[in-house]
Amino acid sequence: MNKATKKILVDPLHVQNPITLQVLGICSALAVTTKVETALVMSAALTFVLVLSNVSISLLRNKIPGSVRIIAQLSIIASLVVVADQLLQAFLFDVAKEISVFVTLIITNCIVMGRAEAFAMQNPPGKSALDGLSNSLGYSWVLIAVGLFRELLGSGKILGYTVLESSTEGGWYVSNGLMVLSPSAFFLIGLIIWVQRALSPEMNEES
Amino acid sequence: MEFSNKYIFSFALLLCLICSLAVSFVHVSMRDMQVANAEADQKSQVLQVAGILEPGVKLTGEEIAAYFEEIDELVVSRETGAVIEDGDFAQDPRSVAKTPEGGVDAPEVHSKATGVRRLANELRAFNVRVEDHECLVLEIYGNGLWSTLLGYIALSPDTKEVRGITYYAHKETPGLGGEVDNPKWKAQWKGKRALDDDGEVLVEVVKGPAMDLEREIDGLSGATITSRGVDSMLKLWLGDDGYGPFLKAQRGAL
Amino acid sequence: MAPLRRLLDKVAPLFEEGGKWEKLYPLYEAADSFLYTPGKKTDGAVHVRDGMDIKRLMVTVVIALLPCTIWAMINTGWQQMVADTAHAEAVSLGLKSSWMTALGLGAWAFLPVYAVTIAVGGMLEGVFATVRKHEINEGFLVTSLLFPLTLPPDIPLWMVGVGIAFGVVIGKEVFGGTGMNVLNPALTGRIFLFFAYPSYLSGSVWRILPAEGAVDGMTGATALGDLVGHGDVSQLGYSWADYFYGLVPGSMGETSVLCCLLGAAFLIFTKVGSWRIMLSSVLGMVGMTLLLNALSGSGSTPAIQGYLAMGPEWHFVLGSFAFGTVFMATDPVSAAQTDTGRWIYGALIGALTPLVRVINPAYPEGVMLAIIFMNVFAPTIDYYVVKSNIKRREVRLGVQ
Repeated sequence: MNKATKKILVDPLHVQNPITLQVLGICSALAVTTKVETALVMSAALTFVLVLSNVSISLLRNKIPGSVRIIAQLSIIASLVVVADQLLQAFLFDVAKEISVFVTLIITNCIVMGRAEAFAMQNPPGKSALDGLSNSLGYSWVLIAVGLFRELLGSGKILGYTVLESSTEGGWYVSNGLMVLSPSAFFLIGLIIWVQRALSPEMNEES
Repeated sequence: MEFSNKYIFSFALLLCLICSLAVSFVHVSMRDMQVANAEADQKSQVLQVAGILEPGVKLTGEEIAAYFEEIDELVVSRETGAVIEDGDFAQDPRSVAKTPEGGVDAPEVHSKATGVRRLANELRAFNVRVEDHECLVLEIYGNGLWSTLLGYIALSPDTKEVRGITYYAHKETPGLGGEVDNPKWKAQWKGKRALDDDGEVLVEVVKGPAMDLEREIDGLSGATITSRGVDSMLKLWLGDDGYGPFLKAQRGAL
Repeated sequence: MAPLRRLLDKVAPLFEEGGKWEKLYPLYEAADSFLYTPGKKTDGAVHVRDGMDIKRLMVTVVIALLPCTIWAMINTGWQQMVADTAHAEAVSLGLKSSWMTALGLGAWAFLPVYAVTIAVGGMLEGVFATVRKHEINEGFLVTSLLFPLTLPPDIPLWMVGVGIAFGVVIGKEVFGGTGMNVLNPALTGRIFLFFAYPSYLSGSVWRILPAEGAVDGMTGATALGDLVGHGDVSQLGYSWADYFYGLVPGSMGETSVLCCLLGAAFLIFTKVGSWRIMLSSVLGMVGMTLLLNALSGSGSTPAIQGYLAMGPEWHFVLGSFAFGTVFMATDPVSAAQTDTGRWIYGALIGALTPLVRVINPAYPEGVMLAIIFMNVFAPTIDYYVVKSNIKRREVRLGVQ
């Protein structure tokens, strides 16, 4: 693998992470991370949309007139989002019921528009697909990590399986109610950013 | 690269056409599955409150349909309590109530306590005939602290005893009002006295721990408003302005 | 004292640059400067903007907290005795003759909470000071005393540890340590516990030991929690004077308005606490309460109407309004720094408190939320105060 490809693949996971460095897609990161399951499904939906939108916009990149560029990208993204939402409602109804509104909000997720505009418009489909995939993974791992902590500390479970038996069900673990509320995702993402920047000081802005 | 206006217009048109075709195709082909999903989801709530289904257990569409062979979906007149034979069960009383001909204004005591402003003329109920789980399931809803709580309550066929309660949608504070979902709290309801012979509502959510174990339910600790919301909801839906006449008719029929 | 000084001097080289335990210098420094006045002045960007040193400032606050702390123990013990028939005889003699028993019982509840706070918080302070190579700050003395005073006596000890850890790390260290924090660390910890374990902190409180034959209602909600339900002060079971003196159930240190006033007098006398913040907070509270009183007719139920109509003198004595205003709102780091800013900051804290209490039944106690909210806005207030000052001077000089 050459250096440029590797950069496309690795950077979004850590030093160019869409959530923790670029601070994009925060809305869904707060809303769907109370459980690992919803975080996983949301990540899958975003991956679906981002990879396909990057590829299709990249294929059309020389055909799209500059004056209607944004609206053309938006139509493609919006269609993909509706498709993703419809599929979830058909095949994963239980999860879709909880996160449907946030899946439809992928349309406004700046990661998707951002990658389309910043990458897919200038690069061939193969590379764009890779870029879409790595950015989705960068988004996904943060979401899943936050979901893991919130579900474990908030309800003593992981993926619905009881790990710490909660005191309301006769066990010893007193669930942390804050973890079920959205602000806890802010704290957790903040802590992830803290750790990341302590590990890679080059992520710090110049003061 | 410069594009002519003609190109731009036709490009936009074509793109929109392709996108809308794709979206419509997916929507149409998925529609049946989605409707079936939503229905199965609602029906398993009914099975849960009737005590047939343990929470968290998932059934296939066929299994649910098999149970519903022995469950009658009833549309009942709120005023007379009579079952309306040709009623449309798919109509949601919550939305029908808002139309001028579908409902009436709720009495002020109820609308202040529960936030329910309009009462539908026709309500929905389930008559569960599944062996060992015979009961009547009623729809209940009303305001808690942050949100409207939507749920079901199951009563014994003679309407004297509560068999179960469940809320399938609400946005109460986790750990306080959100404890309406707590299985331990819900388990208290089973066996409480629901109505007396005159149709007076006996079951009650009290503040603090229940003293009269025959008919009182512990208030949710730290959630005064949610507890009061649940209590007001019972008073409305089990009372004369709710399912009262229907329940009376059921008692008479036995 | 001389042998101790000699010991410290003897081990000093071990901790100084080049010594064996060089990395642990902050720990040595902390021990040394807690015990003796250090030979050097505070340097760098500290938050006190006058000639007084940070240590004396913090010790002053600790002294101001003493009446509240002692009362916390007496009242905690007394409430326990009232609830427990085993102490019926002592209770019948009255508080004057059996306050020693109460103090003993209360200390049994308070000291473990305090010890856990010191142990967990102090350890984290030590870790951060060591890693970041700065000194352990005396500010923690205040934080570690404030925090347990805001807790109910029956709080599980592990919860105390989790709370202070959150307060120290998220409330202070993430921002870079003392002086850089936006939020008051003790309050951050308290609010974390409130949201994380609401049923332990805002529902029924009070009862350290399981009491036999306890009086009914002693495990009931606190006054503010109760008022949401009926809105009638005459149903609380205690008089205004009880709340003023603090002989009521509640979080340990907050019950006595009198002790808070003593602390306030000391803080104002020593010029450590801002009288502007305290006064404007009271004025803001009175103003907002009078507004709510005027609106009381619009409440939808008698309970809400009653609560809206409750007078400012009640808001003043109930809950932690006095404690928060005197000790939390005036925290020099997280409060506004300009005099005009302090008036605005205090007034908004005062105004928000009854608003949260009365309008939002989910949060019975408004004062802690009001203070933390205004902590966030304090820098913004200062910014605009300074800007308008510059502008006024420019106009005066005819620059503009």
